[in-house]
Amino acid sequence: MELDMVKYLAKLAKLEFTDEELEQAVKDMTSIIEIMDTIKDIDITYDPYKDNHNVYLEDLRPDEAMPSLATDKLLQNAVNQENCFVVPKVVE
Amino acid sequence: MVELTVKSLREKLDKKEVSARELTQAYLDRIESVDKKVESYITVTPEAALSAADKAQEKINAGEASSLCGIPLAIKDNICTEGVKTTCASRMLENFVPPYNATVMDKLENEGIVMLGKTSMDEFAMGGSTQTSAFAKTKNPYDLTRVPGGSSGGSAAAVGADLCAAALGSDTGGSIRQPAAFCGVTGIKPTYGRVSRYGLVAFASSLDQIGPVARSAEDCGIILNAISGYDFHDGTSSRLPVDDYTSKIGMSMKGVKIAVVSEFFAEGVDENVRKSVLAAVDTYKAMGAEIIEASMPSLKYAIAAYYLIASAEASSNLSRYDGIKFGHRADVGGSYNDLIVASRSEGFGDEVKRRILLGNYALSSGYYDAYYGKAMGLKQKIREEYADIFTKCDLIITPTAPSVAYGINENISDPKKMYQADFCTVTVNIASLPALSTTCGYDENGMPIGMSIVGKMWDETTIIGAADAFEKQFDRIGASL
Amino acid sequence: MSVSDYIPVIGLEIHSELLTNSKVFCTCSAEFGGEKNTRCCPVCSGMPGTLPIINQRAVEYAIKAGYALGCEINKFSVWDRKNYFYPDLPKAYQISELNLPICLAGAVPIEYEENGEKKSKTIRINHIHLEEDAGKLIHDDLNGVSLCDYNRCGVPLVEIVTEPDMRSPEEARTLVETIALLLQYAGVSDCKMEEGSIRADVNVSLMRKDATEFGTRAEIKNVNSLKSIYRTIEYEIKRQAQILDRGGEVIQETRRFDANKGETKAMRSKEDAHDYKYFPDPDIKQVNLRDEDLERIKASLPEMPKQRLAKYMGFGIPEKEAKVIVNTKKISDLFEECLTHYNNPKSLVNFINGEIMRRINLGEIDIDKPSFTAADVAKLVEMSDTDKVTKNDAKEIFREMAEKGGDPEAIAKANGMLIVSDTGRVLEVIEQVIANNEKAVNQYKSGDVKVFGFLMGQCSKELRGAATPKVIKEELEKKLRSL
Repeated sequence: MELDMVKYLAKLAKLEFTDEELEQAVKDMTSIIEIMDTIKDIDITYDPYKDNHNVYLEDLRPDEAMPSLATDKLLQNAVNQENCFVVPKVVE
Repeated sequence: MVELTVKSLREKLDKKEVSARELTQAYLDRIESVDKKVESYITVTPEAALSAADKAQEKINAGEASSLCGIPLAIKDNICTEGVKTTCASRMLENFVPPYNATVMDKLENEGIVMLGKTSMDEFAMGGSTQTSAFAKTKNPYDLTRVPGGSSGGSAAAVGADLCAAALGSDTGGSIRQPAAFCGVTGIKPTYGRVSRYGLVAFASSLDQIGPVARSAEDCGIILNAISGYDFHDGTSSRLPVDDYTSKIGMSMKGVKIAVVSEFFAEGVDENVRKSVLAAVDTYKAMGAEIIEASMPSLKYAIAAYYLIASAEASSNLSRYDGIKFGHRADVGGSYNDLIVASRSEGFGDEVKRRILLGNYALSSGYYDAYYGKAMGLKQKIREEYADIFTKCDLIITPTAPSVAYGINENISDPKKMYQADFCTVTVNIASLPALSTTCGYDENGMPIGMSIVGKMWDETTIIGAADAFEKQFDRIGASL
Repeated sequence: MSVSDYIPVIGLEIHSELLTNSKVFCTCSAEFGGEKNTRCCPVCSGMPGTLPIINQRAVEYAIKAGYALGCEINKFSVWDRKNYFYPDLPKAYQISELNLPICLAGAVPIEYEENGEKKSKTIRINHIHLEEDAGKLIHDDLNGVSLCDYNRCGVPLVEIVTEPDMRSPEEARTLVETIALLLQYAGVSDCKMEEGSIRADVNVSLMRKDATEFGTRAEIKNVNSLKSIYRTIEYEIKRQAQILDRGGEVIQETRRFDANKGETKAMRSKEDAHDYKYFPDPDIKQVNLRDEDLERIKASLPEMPKQRLAKYMGFGIPEKEAKVIVNTKKISDLFEECLTHYNNPKSLVNFINGEIMRRINLGEIDIDKPSFTAADVAKLVEMSDTDKVTKNDAKEIFREMAEKGGDPEAIAKANGMLIVSDTGRVLEVIEQVIANNEKAVNQYKSGDVKVFGFLMGQCSKELRGAATPKVIKEELEKKLRSL
């Protein structure tokens, strides 16, 4: 695996690495991908229709609203302000 | 007393030979003195435990005690407990206090259990050694220089070291069975959908399942009876009726067909493990079981398929940890992007980051078909191969792990070697099947060896019955601490 | 070159929230509004360990939406995770449908006027998928933070993806209007632009008249009014034409419409190279739809605009009038209910299209929350038709009903507008008027019929509320002839 690929994956995953960590990550990923590549040559595709668990419309949850969580409990693990979660200002 | 099974403790409690408080205090005392060495718990909750014990005692006194009432249990730290920190052994969730209970916790609390605390694990259940835990790198009770296995290493070690009567773990690719094998105890991964996953912090949603770790197959059955069943909050939980999982305790093995799948005993499995498991198969034969041979050609692809699927799902499941709603929030200025990148990079450990990278790779455009798509295809293939084998047998016996517990730091530096060690257990998760690991022997150093009994979908009862038959004639040697 | 040298190619992705009681994957209320973060639970706020549980009605409504837009329904659809980081998306993935959406190809006919010319066209629907809405961000400039309110997180949404079949802003505007109406009739969405319950992503590209391939498109996100959709497209056509005229190339990008300036701008937040890494959501068992389920849902679809129009025209109502009624669902519903109380469609249409529509347009009536009932409107129209009140008084009575509601008969009585047909009193008054106006009566008899109006006026003044002008006129004529 190339360094650029690891950098790209890190960006997708919202992770950052020091140069040293990146070097190690390339090594580790290269080694891991070796195992993953064992399936590259087999001719097999996924068939979503086979993953059918026989769930029908009537098995789904009826549309009834129930009480929500109290706002203070919702926010108990978060930095909050005015009953909201807070993030640095987002520019659209 | 602390070394007794749930079943015997039940009798003692009901006969008032011991009170729930005395029993709880006995475990708390032992945790106080022994867990410094074993490090199986991340959080111990003595006050809550004693007050739960008193409540349980009232039920016992009123003659309303169900099978787990007053029984002190430990809970893996990826199962949400309302008001009690649930860390997943990660810096990311170091201070996370769930505002809700996992469904299994609601069920167990209704039964009147006493929760002693939360057990250590590999960070976010990713690993097989419990050495990636950010808070408690648990040791094997049989040899403190060795790993307890993982990811439910804390739960298995706590049972093995008599630090609880039994425990809950979770199993995504062997995370209940392998530590149970390493710590010389019994653990079962139920059929996918048997136990609600609601409140189990997700690692790989299509593979995760909660299950018990205990001193016997029968105890596993007793706990499974309490935690199984359809849950409104888990759309993947099954509506099939729940069996009495202890109903085949004492069953005869006569005519039971057991398959030995050759690929599980091939290269990579240590000789002492192979011998011990095959000797157990002979024991069953002697009890009247019919032994057949079978083959699973796709086993060689199982590790790749498992790691691709599990990591892909994990990469998505773990994206919610951004420091905004819960979890570690980095102390940085800058933009939203800067904040979440820093929070995630500080909060997650190396192994978790590796899996997230792998998962992103497997799902990213241009690679999806070659990796994730193929892995999902293989999942279907492996299911078919199992279904085929089960047309000819009732149970399959395999080693639980290719070796006994290894020394701390032995495997951890080489992810490839670490991943490959999971080949005995992962196919069961891929195929959604139930499987139990019980001790079938000890190596020359006295380290336990585990065998796995795999059953048909929803047939935990036969697995538990068969495991019990073996356990009844096997002399288990406890860890001495 | 000028704008007219290019053909605009327009496609829309229309998002419409479904009118369910609860959210699509949890039991929180899906109702609009509420104090910040009061309609949230561990599931829709993405807490660790939580799982989605599909709302049956959301699935049914998506199917209904499909039928309303002429779509084929997919009997086995698959929910996927669309992964991206944004503070309004707490799980960091949106549950949506990529490869196997719930509704497949469909078609929506539109009719519109361009340069005074009536035109019609059919716009193809590529597919409709069901997904969850995201939360709301409130920007606090003073403190340099954004606040996240997750009340809207998990509200069910259908995304209607059209083929790039539209060629003008008017066509696009009409399509959105038409689809909104169809969804309202199907009863699956209220399509209130101001509450964000319907909004569109607009894809615009230009191609030269002689070109055979489409040009590069720009996607303008989240345009939330009919007017803005029109203006966005108008602006984009100009912008892209200018670029092409200069020999430049249009960049494929995501843009945002600024309604104040009437311009589109490239979005900064979407600059990230994104890869949504879609994959089937492992937390959801896919749902199978059987023929009998689909038949039941199709049969439960209420009368659609086309059927109502045909019905109204069958009543003998002119097409133009009938369309006015049909084009506002609430008005059509009012009309339908009025009919159950008073079966005189023509008369009701005249009153609704005249008096009621006038007051709606003046902003005196909120048709979503009218203060009057259909039964009372029907009664009023019937009173007017049966000469219990005069046409003019009927309008007066309705003014009060529109303001504060009430029984039209009671209002008429209170204001002395109710006509009680008292023939004895009519004859009595006529006798008296004739006796008092001998000169005028003689003029009439000698052939000067103009004075009839004067005599009529004298009678009417005395008979207000006792008889209709028609009765007075008949009786007066009869009397004069007999003299």
